[in-house]
Amino acid sequence: MVLTSMNVAVLDRPAKYQAVGVDSDVMSERPAPASTLSEEIDVSAETDAARRTRFESEALQYVDQLYSAAMRMTRNPQDAEDLVQEAYTKAYSAFHQYRPGTNLKAWLYRILTNTYINIYRKKQRQPLQANTDTVEDWQMAQAAEHTSSGLRSAEAEALDHLPDNDVKEALQQIPEEFRLAVYFSDVEGFAYKEIAEILNIPIGTVMSRLHRGRKLLRSLLSEYARERGFTRGKES
Amino acid sequence: MGTENCRDCESTAEAVERLERIYEYLDGALSRDDIGEVQNHLSDCPECASDYDLECLIRSVVKRSCTEQAPETLKLTIIQRISQIKIEARH
Repeated sequence: MVLTSMNVAVLDRPAKYQAVGVDSDVMSERPAPASTLSEEIDVSAETDAARRTRFESEALQYVDQLYSAAMRMTRNPQDAEDLVQEAYTKAYSAFHQYRPGTNLKAWLYRILTNTYINIYRKKQRQPLQANTDTVEDWQMAQAAEHTSSGLRSAEAEALDHLPDNDVKEALQQIPEEFRLAVYFSDVEGFAYKEIAEILNIPIGTVMSRLHRGRKLLRSLLSEYARERGFTRGKES
Repeated sequence: MGTENCRDCESTAEAVERLERIYEYLDGALSRDDIGEVQNHLSDCPECASDYDLECLIRSVVKRSCTEQAPETLKLTIIQRISQIKIEARH
């Protein structure tokens, strides 16, 4: 499959995604994701062999991380592997468009997300936006109430010891567009602006997806923790 | 702990807004002034402080649970696949 320039070119235009009401100085206080800095490279004069070596040494270090994200997208190991393979193949084909020194991990995530949307979501015939409207406002309000979201210490402990599978299941239950935003923020520590570039949506949309996704996740995890906490309490 | 609404919040909408400020605070997305305001409120309000603790806990639990290792063979398969790609874009 041919990677169109549209799929990858957006990261080259960061100015388009200026934060609204977000202080960029403050944003930079969050630790930046580790990135491999390349020396000045004339990508147009690079040989295929040199480019492949550069790609392997710089891009392949993110395989585990992309695989983890692919698991949250596809939910199964085989599809996740296929997706990551496909994304890396496309990334390599478009590597001459990647500007050395910019955020390579975000660039790869953007390709992964596009590949997922183009191939897997089409196969499932479900638009990415499908579930947005099914999240009722009352669910959001409920999640924000201290009475329903505040955990007693025993429950907080149960949450802390929640099996990984419970947490993944809870994440899987929130609508996909919220889930990916929360994942990119919590697991990868990407800033709003980077998430906006990866998902190709405005920063305001990133914020509202994060807020909604987090409230839903909070409700779900509290439920799981209460169940676990209660069960444990009864057993002992 | 956690059984009453924040005393400074007069409505559910306000409580939602306060929770969102905590999210943005943790996301590193607030201005210096707003950071100070959130920190002052957190030190005064046990309910919001408990919400803040819960949010920190959720984030660490999510991060812990979602860190997976790709199968050993995946990296090799990728290297093999890209070695077969001939870049044509420059020509």
